[in-house]
Amino acid sequence: MNLVNYKPCVCNLCGTGCGQFLKTDGHKVYGVSPLIAHPVSKGKLCIRGWHSNELLSTNERITTPLIRENGELREASYDEAIALVAARMQGFDGAAGEIGVLASARSSNEDSFTLARLTRDVFKSTLRGIGAEAGHRKSMAALEHAFGYPGAHGSLTAIDHADYILVVGTDITRQNPVIGGNIHAAQRRGARVVTLSSSRTQIAKLSTKHFQEKPGTLGLLVNALGKALMAIRTVNHDRRANIDQLPGYADYAAALRSISSVALERASGIRYEEIEEEAHHLEQARSIVILFSSGISGLDRPTIDAITNLALLSDRMDHPHSAVIPVAGISNLQGSFDMGMSGELGNSVFKALATPDSRIRALFVIDHDDGIIRDKERIAALDFVVYACAYKSAFMELADVVFPLPAYNETDGTYTASDKRVQITHKNVDSRHHVLPGWSLFERIANTSGQHWGYHSATQVFKDIAAHTRGYGDLSHELLSKGFGQHWNPKGFAGCGRRKFNAINIEYWESPTTPEFPFALMIGKAQHYWHQNNLMRKTIVPRREYDQTLWLYPQGYIEISPDDATRLKVRDKWLVNVRSSIGTHMKIAVKISPDVQDGTAYIPYFIKNMISDFLLPYENAYAAGEESVIPIQIQE
Amino acid sequence: MSMSMYILSSGEISALVTELQASYDVYGPQVEPQTKQVFFDQLATPAALDLEAPIPSMPVKEILFPQMERILKYKYDAENQSVAMSKQYFERPKALFGLRPCDLSGILVLDRFFLGQEFVDDVYLTHRRQCLLISNTCLHPFPQCFCVCTHSGPDADEGFDLDLTKLQDGYLLRVGSEKGQAIADAHQWQVATPLHAKEFKAVVDRSIDLFPEMATDNKAWVAKVMNRITTGFVKQETWEYIGDQCFECGACSFVCPTCSCFNIEDTQTPCGECERLRMRDSCSFEGYARMAGDHNPRQPVEDRRNKRFFCKLSYPQSKKYLRPGCVGCGRCQWVCPGDIGLPNVVQYIRREITGGQN
Ligand code: SF4
Ligand code: SF4
Ligand code: SF4
Ligand code: SF4
Repeated sequence: MNLVNYKPCVCNLCGTGCGQFLKTDGHKVYGVSPLIAHPVSKGKLCIRGWHSNELLSTNERITTPLIRENGELREASYDEAIALVAARMQGFDGAAGEIGVLASARSSNEDSFTLARLTRDVFKSTLRGIGAEAGHRKSMAALEHAFGYPGAHGSLTAIDHADYILVVGTDITRQNPVIGGNIHAAQRRGARVVTLSSSRTQIAKLSTKHFQEKPGTLGLLVNALGKALMAIRTVNHDRRANIDQLPGYADYAAALRSISSVALERASGIRYEEIEEEAHHLEQARSIVILFSSGISGLDRPTIDAITNLALLSDRMDHPHSAVIPVAGISNLQGSFDMGMSGELGNSVFKALATPDSRIRALFVIDHDDGIIRDKERIAALDFVVYACAYKSAFMELADVVFPLPAYNETDGTYTASDKRVQITHKNVDSRHHVLPGWSLFERIANTSGQHWGYHSATQVFKDIAAHTRGYGDLSHELLSKGFGQHWNPKGFAGCGRRKFNAINIEYWESPTTPEFPFALMIGKAQHYWHQNNLMRKTIVPRREYDQTLWLYPQGYIEISPDDATRLKVRDKWLVNVRSSIGTHMKIAVKISPDVQDGTAYIPYFIKNMISDFLLPYENAYAAGEESVIPIQIQE
Repeated sequence: MSMSMYILSSGEISALVTELQASYDVYGPQVEPQTKQVFFDQLATPAALDLEAPIPSMPVKEILFPQMERILKYKYDAENQSVAMSKQYFERPKALFGLRPCDLSGILVLDRFFLGQEFVDDVYLTHRRQCLLISNTCLHPFPQCFCVCTHSGPDADEGFDLDLTKLQDGYLLRVGSEKGQAIADAHQWQVATPLHAKEFKAVVDRSIDLFPEMATDNKAWVAKVMNRITTGFVKQETWEYIGDQCFECGACSFVCPTCSCFNIEDTQTPCGECERLRMRDSCSFEGYARMAGDHNPRQPVEDRRNKRFFCKLSYPQSKKYLRPGCVGCGRCQWVCPGDIGLPNVVQYIRREITGGQN
């Protein structure tokens, strides 16, 4: 009998990368403990992390390769399934865009790196993508322009020391609760925490100052802050002479100067005087951390540009406790980008699936995220679909061949958190059914297709990652095993150290609402479950919490303000008719919330599966992320 | 019974562990080598035991009331219309070697909850029966300890079979039960002298002196705060202020030596059997507090919070458990992402009472 012990690893349930212990005898996981010495999580975990043992011991696992025969999936050996995949894939012309590969932002770097190699060298395809990549690509592009490399500037640990923390948009205590906790702790030690958010989120309540802007004006607000800061600088011009030498400054400054305080107030509902006051605090801070959410719920490019510009304008970005961090909802979103699994601009697998006359005929998918459901019919009509995942999911129904994968604690692997911290998780449980790790599965497919990579361990794969991936050159499994990870080194990028302003346009966003459709509907936040539903549905306590919401609001709910409820003459949980400006409609329960502004309405993201008919025509609204708005009317 | 006392060398302590391992699963504090985090886990060897390690990061209740355990397996046979059932928890004698007094007090509170009421919890009883409890006096508090306010440390005064205190000459071993005496009787340990008893008292007094002022100062306040909570005088704004800081992670309940909420769930295994799982739960979760009927009496998060503090710090509850529900270990303070561990809550209510001074 093996003794039950606590084994350290990294939580894989969001891009914070908290340290956690799993209590295990090497066969099963019995419990979880937080890891006190971890520099970011410092002994904290959120509801997801605390219940990962439930996920890791679910019976809803894929345990063996499966092959579809006469319409049914049947068990198969690895040899048979791999041979079938290799043979069928050779029948497609990858170079001509016939093979698409969809990676998972939860996979380890080792898996994503080998998958990228399989895509490139074996499938000869450039058609690839990662779930939730669209939003993150915008963050990467803006950051690379500003700082010279595609990744966060600075570390999440800067939150613990910074003078000033700006949270732009994100409902961070829900999405990345442990980061939210660190911000709260910073506020309590005296840092100035400022949240810009159209609804009164929990972090807004815990902030020193909350600017509750009208929807769609987040970027404008950040730019207004820039204008006010620049104005102070003009008076104090003895300091920071060289910011105005940076490329793009003149255009940026001109754009800022053009902001009219009257138009600002009309569009955003915020008075410029308030912003001026805030700029004085910003000016006095020696270190500044800016956080915004990146990925499926991320901001649009102009807003991210406004953020990086403000960061540069502050001239505090060289301080060790300053940072600009695109906070990812999914554990290894950053790493999957670093490993090259993101589709090149305009050539992603998502686009191929969405374009009716694209040449795509075969699809190779790891995990899957909600977004893909949109393309279900197209996928069902493809010639050949391969699916690999640790857990059973509806996607199996679309697949011709299915492969099991290990859970994150059943194999060695590295993961790159939102702030570029690369951390290692060592295998602490035997995968129950001799499941091959992703990198080994991909290597065997390559092998069967006539290519010999010669990887025998994840450690060896990582050596190749270090040799071929910019920023990763200094890292190795050995090094990462010693502490709590290490940030990848931006000096791996030639542009590292440069500073450039992004080009911005000042637009006074006009709400698309009309007298007939007077409410601005936003799709957003959902308690506990952001992006993680596929996994959280397999837990017990978090799932019950999710069901609890459904139980109270079986039709889903739309959050409106108390005053609007009075005007509409509706009470909490009453069903209302919601009609959108393009004619879709649904019946949904009202949830009255004092945290919502008049004239706005929220539907939690996770309710999407219940009201997909209503939202599906608004694909673009998803693409636009957190700031997207749908004009609606609500009737009793 | 009058308490016998002995003096043991470190060698005799190790020998005792080895000896106990023959008939018990022996658990004790040990330091995880990579992270230096302390866990109260089963000992592979006597050498793994570290009696000087700080308070374990997870409460010892983990052994008697684990985060998740399989308690039952059953299979329905449709043909014969019968159910085959087998229990999945088994009795193994356990020696808990080197319990911090607060964790010992926690076990006594759980005993009252699981065993001392109308229904006796069979699973808990099975783990708890044949347990040997060996406590270990804290020579100094660890950061966040405040057991002096809750009468549960730094030394143990009830509930142990054997109790250890490190003195100049070795470990003072106090016997607290017949079971403990039987073990002592089987050894030729050196009997302690009155001087040792005196030194023990001095060691405990010194330890109490070492508590930070905040903790000792809070002592009187815990009683006042309990009064305030029991009589319902805490202002709604204070609860809201606390509630706004709760991230609903459940951590405070998971690490608390006295929290006993749990959930039962049946899950299907791939081979058609059903497993009954029991897992720890938390009153901070909306779903836990749900009651039958279409309303949730504690829906706003601040109300769920006040339930937990009510449970830890009110007279009806402490009467039920014959002591405050909180044993002062401070763990909830260190795992709470919202900064509302129990000591802080005492501070907030205290601030309300004093009108902001202090
Ligand atoms: S914040 Fe993210 S990484 Fe941390 S415990 Fe929660 S899900 Fe895991
Ligand atoms: S309430 Fe907090 S300090 Fe008190 S016993 Fe529980 S975990 Fe320890
Ligand atoms: S709370 Fe008291 S009994 Fe518990 S570890 Fe700290 S000092 Fe020891
Ligand atoms: S640990 Fe803190 S944040 Fe988590 S449930 Fe308890 S009080 Fe709330």
